[in-house]
Amino acid sequence: MKAVVRAAWWLVPVAFFASFYWLGLRIWFHQDDFAWLNLSLHVRSWTDLWEALFAPRSFGTIRPLSERSFFLSFYALFGLDAVPFRIAVHVTQFANLILLARIAQRLTGSRLAGMLAALFWAASSVLAAALAWTSSYNQILCALFLLLSLYWLIRYAETGRRGYWIAQWMSFLAGFGALEINVVYPVIAAAYAWFWARAHFRKTLWLFPPSILYAVMHQLAAPKPESGVYAPRFDATVLTALWRYWEMALGPSRLTPVWPEFARWELAATTALGAALLGFVAWHLARRRWRYAFPLIWFLALLGPFLPFSGHVSDYYLTAPMSGLAVLGAWAVASGWNAGGWRRGLAIALAGLYLAVSLPTTRTVLRWHYERGRMARTLVYGLARAKQLHPGKTILLTGVSTDLFWTAVFDKPYRLLGLTQVYLAPGAEENIKADPELGDVSEFVLPPSVALEALERKQAVVYDASGDRLANVTGPFYAVARRRWSRDELPRRVDAGNALFSRFLGPEWYPVEDGYRWMPQRATVRLGGPARSLRVRGYCPSAQVAAGPLYLTVRANGYMFPRVELRRGDAPFDLSFRLPDAVGRASEIRVALEVDRIFARPEDGRPLGLVFGAIEAR
Amino acid sequence: MRRLTRVALALAFGLTFGGCRRSAQNIPADATREETRELATMVHVADPRTSLQLIRGFHEIEQNAWRWTMARFAVTLRAPSGASEKGATLVLQGAVPDPVIAQLKAVTLTADVEGVPLPPETFTRPGEYLYRRDVPPKAFPAEAVTVNFTLDKALAPGEADHRELGIVVTSVGFEAK
Repeated sequence: MKAVVRAAWWLVPVAFFASFYWLGLRIWFHQDDFAWLNLSLHVRSWTDLWEALFAPRSFGTIRPLSERSFFLSFYALFGLDAVPFRIAVHVTQFANLILLARIAQRLTGSRLAGMLAALFWAASSVLAAALAWTSSYNQILCALFLLLSLYWLIRYAETGRRGYWIAQWMSFLAGFGALEINVVYPVIAAAYAWFWARAHFRKTLWLFPPSILYAVMHQLAAPKPESGVYAPRFDATVLTALWRYWEMALGPSRLTPVWPEFARWELAATTALGAALLGFVAWHLARRRWRYAFPLIWFLALLGPFLPFSGHVSDYYLTAPMSGLAVLGAWAVASGWNAGGWRRGLAIALAGLYLAVSLPTTRTVLRWHYERGRMARTLVYGLARAKQLHPGKTILLTGVSTDLFWTAVFDKPYRLLGLTQVYLAPGAEENIKADPELGDVSEFVLPPSVALEALERKQAVVYDASGDRLANVTGPFYAVARRRWSRDELPRRVDAGNALFSRFLGPEWYPVEDGYRWMPQRATVRLGGPARSLRVRGYCPSAQVAAGPLYLTVRANGYMFPRVELRRGDAPFDLSFRLPDAVGRASEIRVALEVDRIFARPEDGRPLGLVFGAIEAR
Repeated sequence: MRRLTRVALALAFGLTFGGCRRSAQNIPADATREETRELATMVHVADPRTSLQLIRGFHEIEQNAWRWTMARFAVTLRAPSGASEKGATLVLQGAVPDPVIAQLKAVTLTADVEGVPLPPETFTRPGEYLYRRDVPPKAFPAEAVTVNFTLDKALAPGEADHRELGIVVTSVGFEAK
């Protein structure tokens, strides 16, 4: 009976989490989720798999366990059914909550503090994004490895059993496959040992070499952005970022956008919660009880790697750091409770304040992600149905809002349905707010003359995405398009891999093959002007550079740019050229592409130069 | 246990190698609305179903009811039945907001239907308005026609609002005669 009561005690935070986050199980894929799901389209061999799992992507991240293998394996097993993905996220968080409760109890010696730590962490609104958005599973899985490592270390310190030490090492090393912030675990482990198990302190120093090695390897292997929000800055903005994270972690500042009337209380609530936590630590430190600083060290150590990215302060980055602050809060409240009297009253009031400001925000964030997922599912299912009804036709989308575009179009989820010919209808981009940090909306638009011709030839259908489901508006759209655009207008962008653009390509080109097109030694394209620059994107096969660099010459209306040297085989290239004024002012820009040598494939013997995608006058 | 995990992962990756054959299965038949839709004769600018007929010069929907225009805006409409013989009536419903009159004093709206000009109207007071004009049969050479509107003045983009702002429109269309 005692065991049952004890288990029920630990399950309180889990039950709270399950009851509060039930909507999370129903959240569909959105935004970056599709980028990870699309990974499976590139895996055709073991080499592809290796690349898919370990090649640095998305601003230099390498997270084979929490992103690559998670999405690859779950998609392979469950396809576009999001529920198993969501269950995995929730089950991981169940384990996290139990682990945090056990750790907090051992650190504080209080079962109440253990339970409250998990409860406070589960209630925090900064966790909502990571729990609601499958792409952020890296935060949840990383937390699992960190908590597991710390738990095993504590157990080792308590029992001296070598198995716990080995288990700690295993989960620590596995954590590198989840998220980069795993590198700071040795700091947490050493701090724990220093405060609670000094005899093991020197041993924990052995955890540092793998972290240092990982950091060095990561620096060498992962490309580092030099500009934009993902470029690190080591200046005073670090402190600004720290303050913003501190405010977010406490909660009140996040309630104001949800409930604007709260604005007048925000500062007072933030100050009360912040002062209570820091005051609790300061009071104990003043009495030389140094271990009370440990939860703050835990928080700051895990937050530290995010602070240089002050232009990209995001709530979900607080997922793991917040566990440390939750332990501190729980320790303070349990201490107040045990002290009785006014301290107990204050502890209850502050805990109540924290929950009162956190839970409505958490619910709002959850609902926001749910709506995003619903929006994306409506679009993706609509496209799947359109493909069934109009096989082989290009699908044009109109009525796409800014939210819908960045949520469900930009990452091309339709590729998972085998659809490659999905575009924004011309004019649809006018309703979409640009976000240069994320991408270029214009790349998704089918140029008016091309769309018009496709509609005339009944090679395209148009769907309106502004309603509760996709609506076929081919008829009225065509009626408007005929009056608005001319078939003779030259497009500024020609997608060589799309047959709809064929009439703008010279006769030299080979037929379209699966979304791309080969050129022989020389080929031409006609683009609309005026423009300032020319962008040429394609793919260089390894056969072309086997005997040394390949030289590509590009001309625009006869003007020859300095020739380009291509050295990397089996790799894409993306070239930009500034157009001279005389060329850029022209209404028609004739582009000629020429390589200095060709090769032939044994299967067809055709003389081949390079593979091309989009050629664009910008 | 570890072996089992390895087998499960290998199975998952094995399925992945099968390629992209897995699509969204069990797609509901009503995932799209396929009924044929015609161009509307009367467009309520807040109705997303007819937004594609607002071919230029309209800003986004506000309060689910109306849109600001720019100085020049246009809409493509279906001609009402019999318009090529009897003509029709063009009706533009909206409002001239206070800031427009406060800054510009007066604005004049002109319109043409397929190049056939219609009499202008000048607004000197803020408030709701109805621009209503007879359109002759010769303005309806086809089933779909484009109506171009021009304001002689508009609020330039500024600090408070980065858009060019003309007037507010709630609906525009033809009434049959």
